[in-house]
Amino acid sequence: MTTFIARHGRGVLGLIIAALVLVAAVAAPVLVAQDPLRTDFAVGLKPPGTPGHPLGTDQLGRDLLARVLYGARVALFIGLCCVLLTAVVGGLAGLLAGYYEGWLGAVVMRVADVQLSFPFILLALTINAIVGLGLRNIIVSLSVAGWVVYARVVRGEVLSVKEREFVHAAQALGLGRARLLFRHILPNVAPSIVIVGSLQFAQFIVAEAAISFLGFGVQPPTPAWGSMLSESRDYLYVAWWLAAFPGAALALTALGINLVGDWLRDVLDPKFRV
Amino acid sequence: MRAYLLSRLGQTVLVVFLSLTAVFFLMRLGGDPVLLFLPMDIQAKDLNEFRERLGFNDPVAVQYGRFIGRAIRGDFGESLRYKQDALGLVLERLPATLYLAVAALGLTFLVAVPVGVLSAVRRGSLFDFFGMGAAVLGQAVPGFWLGLMLIYLFSVKLGWLPTGGTGSARHFVMPCVVLASFYAARMARITRSSVLDTLNEEFVLTARAKGLAERIVIAKHTLKNSAIPIVTLAGLDTGQLLGGAVITETIFAWPGLGRLTVQALLNRDFPVVLAAVFIFSVTYTLINLVVDLLYGWLDPRTRRERARA
Amino acid sequence: MTRFATLLTTLAVLLGLAASAPAQDRARTKEVVVAFAAEPRTLLPDTIVDWTTNNMVEHMYDRLVDRDPKTYKPSPMLATGWKVVNDTTWEFALRRNVKFHNGEVFDAQSVKATMDYIKDPANKTHYLPRWALLKEVQIVNDYTVRFVTEKPWPGLIDRIAGSDFLPMPPKALKEQGAPALAAKPIGTGAFRFVQWVRDERLVVERNPDYWQTPAEASRVTFRFIPEFSARLAALLAGEIDIMKDVPPQNVEMLEKSGKARLRATVSSRINYLALVNLKPGPMQDLRVRKAIHAAVNVDELIQQVLKGRATKMCGSLSPINVDYSPKPQCLKHDPAQAQALFKEAGVDPTKLQLTLDTPSGRYPLDKDLSLAIAAQLQRVGIKTNVVVNEWGTHLDKIKNRTTGDMFFLGWGPALDAQNTIEQLFLGKQTYSSYGNNEALEAKINQAVTIVDPKKRLEAWAEIQQLVRDEVPWVFLWQQHDLYGVANWIEWTPRADERVWMYEAKLAR
Repeated sequence: MTTFIARHGRGVLGLIIAALVLVAAVAAPVLVAQDPLRTDFAVGLKPPGTPGHPLGTDQLGRDLLARVLYGARVALFIGLCCVLLTAVVGGLAGLLAGYYEGWLGAVVMRVADVQLSFPFILLALTINAIVGLGLRNIIVSLSVAGWVVYARVVRGEVLSVKEREFVHAAQALGLGRARLLFRHILPNVAPSIVIVGSLQFAQFIVAEAAISFLGFGVQPPTPAWGSMLSESRDYLYVAWWLAAFPGAALALTALGINLVGDWLRDVLDPKFRV
Repeated sequence: MRAYLLSRLGQTVLVVFLSLTAVFFLMRLGGDPVLLFLPMDIQAKDLNEFRERLGFNDPVAVQYGRFIGRAIRGDFGESLRYKQDALGLVLERLPATLYLAVAALGLTFLVAVPVGVLSAVRRGSLFDFFGMGAAVLGQAVPGFWLGLMLIYLFSVKLGWLPTGGTGSARHFVMPCVVLASFYAARMARITRSSVLDTLNEEFVLTARAKGLAERIVIAKHTLKNSAIPIVTLAGLDTGQLLGGAVITETIFAWPGLGRLTVQALLNRDFPVVLAAVFIFSVTYTLINLVVDLLYGWLDPRTRRERARA
Repeated sequence: MTRFATLLTTLAVLLGLAASAPAQDRARTKEVVVAFAAEPRTLLPDTIVDWTTNNMVEHMYDRLVDRDPKTYKPSPMLATGWKVVNDTTWEFALRRNVKFHNGEVFDAQSVKATMDYIKDPANKTHYLPRWALLKEVQIVNDYTVRFVTEKPWPGLIDRIAGSDFLPMPPKALKEQGAPALAAKPIGTGAFRFVQWVRDERLVVERNPDYWQTPAEASRVTFRFIPEFSARLAALLAGEIDIMKDVPPQNVEMLEKSGKARLRATVSSRINYLALVNLKPGPMQDLRVRKAIHAAVNVDELIQQVLKGRATKMCGSLSPINVDYSPKPQCLKHDPAQAQALFKEAGVDPTKLQLTLDTPSGRYPLDKDLSLAIAAQLQRVGIKTNVVVNEWGTHLDKIKNRTTGDMFFLGWGPALDAQNTIEQLFLGKQTYSSYGNNEALEAKINQAVTIVDPKKRLEAWAEIQQLVRDEVPWVFLWQQHDLYGVANWIEWTPRADERVWMYEAKLAR
C-alpha cells in the first residue's frame, strides 16, 4: 500500500485536482447561479461573504465565483489547444527532421535555434503585437512560440529510435518510408510527446497570465484567470480577493496538471529527460 | 577542435542573421511605427514627412538592404522613441539585466541543486514531498503575482526591503527571488529526476557493490553524470532569463534590457527591437557554445563523438 | 566609454549609490521624490512632444510664456509682455537679469537661436510642424523680439504659452551642439541638472540664482516606476512623495494610510466616445447618433465607475478651455427619447450590432467604462462588441479609419479651441472621427484666421453650438487628475497637467 502511495500518490492527487478543474469548467453554469458577464455597478468591489457573492465581486459588480469557474473553461481551452497545436506541428517537424536528417533536419533545427534565441515571452508578445489581442490570438502566439520544444525532443528521440534493430529489420523488409515513420517509429516516440505535452499544459496556462500582465490579455468580457489577475493589480490594496482567488485557481490547476505530468513520466518512460 | 569552433562560429552568424531578418519583416507587419512616436495633434502631411525622412516610405526591400548594410557596421540606427543610438541604448541596459540574471542563476543553483539532490537521495521522504511540492508550486505561481505579494509584505507592511529600483544589495533580493522562483523550481525537479536516473545506473551500482562510501558514490560518480541535463537547462534558461526578466524588471522598476525590449515592442521602436534581438541571439548562441564545450568536459563520450564527426 | 567601463559603472551604480533616504530624512533635507511611469525621452527641450518628458525638462528650462495656474490664461514668464504689432507680427518684451545655468545671459539671441533650432529640419524636432506658420524671429534689440508669421496667426499666443517654446543657451548650443546639451541640460529653470541614471532616476537640484525666489525644495529626484501598484506601494512605504493617476477606488485607502493623501484637480484633458461617421454605417444618421447619446447615462458612468471623479461636459470644449462657450445645452439621458429617435430613423435597436474600440489603461478606467457603456446600450437592446486595443493598434485604427462604429479616446491638454475642434472635427485630420460637413469645415477654417479676440470668441461659440447639434460624440467629461501626495508636501496639481516642483511648499 505504501509503495502504491509512494509511486502513484502524487499522480492520483494530480488527477483529482485536474478532475475538479474539469468539473468546474464543464459544470460551471450548473454550479453557480450568477452570470459571470453581468455587470452591476451598485455591488462593485464587494468582499467575499457578501450575500449572493461568496467570493465577492469585481470592479464592475460581476460575481467572482462565477468568473473563476468559467475561467476554468478558458484555461483548459487554452491549454488544450496550445498543446494540440504544438504537439502536432512540433511533433511532425521533429519526426521529419529526425528521420530524414540531411538538409531538412538542418533547416528545422536552425529555425528552432533562431526561435529559441528569442526569449519565449518576448516572442509571444511580438506575435501578439502583430495579430492583436484576444483568446484566439493568444493561442496562436503561444503555439508559435512553443512548438520548438517538441521538435527538439522528438527529433532526439527519433534519432535514437532509428538505430534500433526493429527499424533496421523493417527497412530490410522493404517497408515504405511513410509506413515506417508512422506505424513504427511514431508509437515509440509517442510517450515523450505525451510527457512534454503534460508538462507544457500548465506552462501555457501560466504564460497566458504573463501575456495578460503585459497588456495583451483575453478580450473582455471573457473571464480568464490570467487577465483577471492582471486587472486585479489596480485593486490590490482595496480588493485582495480579486487577485487571491484567480491566482489560487491558476496555481492549483497548474499544480494538478504538473503532478499528472510527472506521474505520466514515471510510468511511461522513467528515463525520459527533456 | 579549431574546425569545430569555426563551424560553430559560422552557425552563430547564420542564426543571428536569420533572427534579425525574421524580426525585421515581422515588425513591418505590426503597423505604423511613426504614429506612436509623434504627438497626436500632428497633421497628416507632417506625419508623412517624418515617414519620408526616416525612410519608412521606401520599399521594404530597400529598407532591408539599408538595414543590413548598416547593421554589419554595428549601426542599428537611432531609437524612434529616445534620441539615442539604438545599439548603445541596448548595451547600456544589458549589464543590469546580466547582473540580475547571474544573481538569479546563482540563487537557483544554490537552492535548487542541493534540494534536488537531497530529494533524490532521500526519495519518498518528507523532505522529498515538501521539496518537490514547493518546486511544483514555484512553477505554477505566476511571477508577477508573487512579486506584487512580496512587495506588499516586505515593503509596505514590514518596511524591510525597498519596493524597487537599484542602489544597494537589498534592492537585489526580491527581484532575484521572483526571477529565480520559476527556474529554481524547474531545476530542482530536473536535478532530482536526473540524479535518480544516475543512481540507478550500472556504474553506480558497481561503485556501491565495491563498498564505496555513500557520499563518495554520490559526489564523485553521480553528480558529474547527472550534470548534463542540468547544464543543458541552465544554458537554455540563461537565454530565457534575459528576456524572462521582463516581468521582474517591470514590477521592480529594474533598469534592464527585458523591460526596454518590451517597451520598444509596444512602442514599435524598430531600431531598438532589432538591436535587442541581435544581442539576444548572440548571447544565446554563445551560451550554447559554452554549454557544448562543458558537455565535452563532463562526458568524454561526447568529446570523442565530436572528434569523429 | 569602453564596454568594460560601462559594465563596471553599472555595477557600481547598482550596488554603490545609496538608495533614496526615507521620508523623514528627506523632509529635513527638503528633498522631494516624484514617480513617473516612464523616463524622459530626451533632456533636450523643444524636441519631443511628450507629457512625461516635458514635465521633467521644464524643471530645468523655463517657458517664454506660462499659463496662470488658476485662470489658464497666458501669463508672463521669460517674456514680460507682448502685443500684436500687425496682422502677421507679435512683439515680445523679454525679462532682464536672467541667467542660464552656465552663466550665459538670457536675451533676444537666445530666443532667435532656439527658434532657429526648432525650424531646422535637420534637428527633426516634433515642434517643427507646430511652428509651421512662423516665418522668422526678428531681434529688435537685446530684450525685444518679433515673431513674424506667414499668415495671420491669432493662436500664436496659445501656442507659445506652453512647452512649445523653451529658450536654450545660444553660445552653448552653437559651441557644443545639441547632443552635448542633451547630455548636460543648461536652462534658466528653477532647478539645475545633476544626474540622469537611465531608466532609473533623474536628479535635479535647486538653482539659487533663479530669477524668481529660489525653490523651497533643495533637490528633486524623479524615479521611473512602470508598474502602477509598485508606485502605490512606494508611496505607501514612504519611498516616493508624489505620483499621478491614483485610481478612484484606491483613494479611500490612500487617505487612511497616514503617509500620503489625495490631491485632485479637474484636468483640461477630456474623454469622449466618438461616433464615427466617416464611413458608411448607422452612425452617419444624425438621429441614430442622437439616440445613442440619449441611451448612454453619463451621470451613472461618472458616479458608479469613476466614483464621481470626473466633470461632465455638454459640448466639445470644457470650461477650462479659453474659447469655451456655455451656450450649448447638455444632451439629456432619456431612454424613451432614444427609442423614439430610433423609430424615426427606421432602425430597430434590438437588431443593431455595434462595435466599440477602446484602449486599455491609457485613460482612467477606459476599458471598464467602455464595457459599462456597452452594458447601458444593452438596456435599449443594442448589442455592442467591445474591442480592446493595445495603444499603438488603437491609434493605427483611428488613423486608418478601420475602427468600429464607436471609439473611446481622450484629448489634451485641451486649452484652446483651435487645437481641439480643428483637430477633431475636420475629416482629413489624423485622429478625427467626424467629417463630411462642408458648412462646419468652412466655419472652422474661417475662425482660425480671425484676429479680433471678441469676434474669435463669437465664431467659436457658434461652432460649438453647431458641433453639439451634430452629436459627433457622446460628450463625456473632463478627467480628474488624481495625485497621491506625501503628507509633508503642500502641492496643488494644475489642470494643464504640469507637474512642477517649484510650486511645492514643504512642511517645516
